[in-house]
Amino acid sequence: MSASQSVFAGWVEIAPSVFEDEARQHVEEEALEALVDQYASTLYRVAFSILRNSSDAEDAVQETFLRVLRHRDTLGEVRDHRVWLIRIVWNIVLDRKRRAKTRPETDDVAELARVLPARGLSAEQRASAAQHHAQVLACVDQLPAKEREVMVLSAFEELTSVEIASVLDITESSVRSRLFRARNLMAELLHHERSLR
Amino acid sequence: MNTQGENGVGAASLGEADATLRLIAEVPAPVGLEDRVKGSLHRMPAGRGGRLLDWPGGSRRSWWLESAWARGAAAAAIVAVVAGGSWQVYSRVQPKQAHVLIPHVGTASGFASANAVRTPKTLDAPTVTTVATASSGSKKREDTKKRTMRHEPAERVRPPVR
Repeated sequence: MSASQSVFAGWVEIAPSVFEDEARQHVEEEALEALVDQYASTLYRVAFSILRNSSDAEDAVQETFLRVLRHRDTLGEVRDHRVWLIRIVWNIVLDRKRRAKTRPETDDVAELARVLPARGLSAEQRASAAQHHAQVLACVDQLPAKEREVMVLSAFEELTSVEIASVLDITESSVRSRLFRARNLMAELLHHERSLR
Repeated sequence: MNTQGENGVGAASLGEADATLRLIAEVPAPVGLEDRVKGSLHRMPAGRGGRLLDWPGGSRRSWWLESAWARGAAAAAIVAVVAGGSWQVYSRVQPKQAHVLIPHVGTASGFASANAVRTPKTLDAPTVTTVATASSGSKKREDTKKRTMRHEPAERVRPPVR
């Protein structure tokens, strides 16, 4: 207790919640930092799978944790922090994607060439691989939104179909049926793409 | 229906698509991401749930901001000031009595009406019924009438004596 507090405490009743709040804040800050350490990387990958730009993905991760900070009072009520955080970042990146719809495809290719692991490939091979990945992702973008979302999330090995259903707020059977449709459509799109070449 | 060859091509294409999506899903996070995120969390001003306004010049919370009775008193004072100000303004600006203005009816020719007021006939004039009383005059008139109807000769008038 500071000097001024001790003076006032003599004739004014100071609510003990003041000091309890400070202690609780400290605990909450530590919990939030632990969440950052544990899930920032996962959230970044989820954000990157939609935005395909590293700086945009990092911004989305920061916005996610800022939202958590604002609503940290509800942190104790959350059962699965990982799915909860993925759901927040998912909504943020979809919102950002909707707002910035037009971005040249060349940006995607350059970003992929820069970000994807090289594994001993030459510069030419890396550029060719990036081009190929960009074409596949262009086909993914042609899928209907519902099917595309399920297909992108299903690529994350750490997410089960139940968790994907929780992130998208749909049932598990819907996830399966959408994934089935997505894969059929994707096969047709890639086949069509190859026949054009 | 797809042939077996087409199915094989489709499966191979799907395999490539899955590989690309997995590659994207496994992109390594940039170095120092966690530190940057933590830094942005610390830089966030008044990120304490937004329950109280941040007092300029001091990050330390004041006891009176937390005290329930102090906040209640402050709220009551604000309400009193607002209500008093409103009453003062209301009492000064009284609503004036509305004047009944007779519209000036001008004529198309430009002549004035010389303050002549036209009173429209909005009511029917009262009708008075007269009750006839029996009198000698009226009896005489009635005899004359009867006589005329019977074609009786009129009273002879004697010629004057010469």
